[in-house]
Amino acid sequence: MVTLFGKRVRLFRPRTIWIRRVVQWFFFLLIALIAVNHTLAESGAGIPILSSASLHAVCPFGGVETLYTVATSALLVRKVHDSALVLAGIVLLLSILFGPVFCGWVCPLGTVQEWMGKIGRKLFRRRYNHFVPMRLDNVLRYARYGVLIWVLYVTARSGTLIFEAYDPYFALFNFWSTEVAWSALAILGLTLGLSVFVERPWCKYACPYGAVLGITNLFRVFSIKRSETTCKADGACSIMCPMNIPVDSMKVVRDHQCISCLECTSEAICPVAGTVLLTAGGVK
Amino acid sequence: MTVTSKPMAVIVFIMLFGGISFSSLMGWWATESTKEPVIFTEGEFAGQANPVDIRGSYTFGDIANSFDVTSEILAQAFGISVEDPAAFAVKELEAIYLDSGFEIGTASIRMFVAHYSGLPFDTTGQEIYMPQPATDILLAKENLSPEQIAYLEAHTVTVGESAPAEVPAVNAVPGETSSTTSEEYTIKGKTIFGDLITWGVPQATMEQLIGAPMPDPAMKVKDYASANGLDFETLKTALQAEVDKVKP
Repeated sequence: MVTLFGKRVRLFRPRTIWIRRVVQWFFFLLIALIAVNHTLAESGAGIPILSSASLHAVCPFGGVETLYTVATSALLVRKVHDSALVLAGIVLLLSILFGPVFCGWVCPLGTVQEWMGKIGRKLFRRRYNHFVPMRLDNVLRYARYGVLIWVLYVTARSGTLIFEAYDPYFALFNFWSTEVAWSALAILGLTLGLSVFVERPWCKYACPYGAVLGITNLFRVFSIKRSETTCKADGACSIMCPMNIPVDSMKVVRDHQCISCLECTSEAICPVAGTVLLTAGGVK
Repeated sequence: MTVTSKPMAVIVFIMLFGGISFSSLMGWWATESTKEPVIFTEGEFAGQANPVDIRGSYTFGDIANSFDVTSEILAQAFGISVEDPAAFAVKELEAIYLDSGFEIGTASIRMFVAHYSGLPFDTTGQEIYMPQPATDILLAKENLSPEQIAYLEAHTVTVGESAPAEVPAVNAVPGETSSTTSEEYTIKGKTIFGDLITWGVPQATMEQLIGAPMPDPAMKVKDYASANGLDFETLKTALQAEVDKVKP
């Protein structure tokens, strides 16, 4: 900020939430190290200071998948550990307060899709993330609830992690392992390929965990809110939104696809201070 | 109250790592199986370990610690010839039986342990296969219900009787017999009654020779002889004669 003609003016405005990138990198590296160390530990060569937990032990979705077996038989689904239930609880609490922050800030699969999206932005510029016709897109957005129901059903019925064979997240951090099914690798490849055209395609259309956390957008404590009195209606917030949410037409973002990335806020793309905010109160 | 990106980052770290630390303090955080299956909480078997909770990461030794079955009998039942059966991990079974055309893995171990230990096990809607030696050992226990016997008979696969752990079992077609060397049909000090069952010696014949009901299949013939005041060499010769009659 500098003072010109008696007014405080910001000369440089960040166009993105840089600290989110730092957090994303941190969790990507952390999970990658844990996954590699788990493989090393199985052959007795693990690094002692690092956790050698399996990927299933540090994935909160495992906690959701095993809820039925816990409720009906007090047993965890095969390969899932208590830690997954703990993480599921923490992430749920985080989401009730701030929305699906896990998706926007922590999930490494979301991070990798964003990295691929950078290529798409350079290649297609304004057309990027606008290839899918709106009607089709609106329908496809609900497909992830179908995936969620299917995953919960087959897991409850079998008592095993059937979804592992189709899970691109598991494939991403185990592609070197014989445990990964070709179907999971194919879905990972498809996800990364589509990410060049569409921002976070897995999150938008297929992620069952995103479906669970997305529901918290309907009642979260801190929401993205837009001040209609100061809004310039330039549409910048909507253009920037990775999930294509029309923020500029809403007073409070209750869209089930919001990932709380804060890229639409006045701290990032919105040029007017205090207009788009993550807040528990109201806006002017 | 408004939250911006930097406080958000701090909140994410505090909630995640604070939550993990808190759950560790409370004893809730576990990234590995305890290798102790959950127990039945009610009914006739309350307090006993539940075989349904046996996982692929368990070793035969882990199972032996929680159930009334030894590592040796598990190795015998599933054709595992390794120096230390207690260290054999259940999850390795599937790879060994991969070429059999039948899924013999953790579920098979669960069912075997349940039947062997006389614990309840629900097979409804499940197709769980069992290698022939395992079925033979279970039938020799004579504690199965007619329904359990019928299920076993319908789900038994004849495989290589001494399939080494590192080599996939061969001839995995029901009804076929496998090749076993004459060396392996020789009674030695470490031979258990389960071996004799697997080799095809009828239970009635063994009971006639020892003059008593069939002992635990996991028991060594030598140990049985010394425990019952029998001469091991004499018993061995008599049993070997029966083995020679049935060996291929």
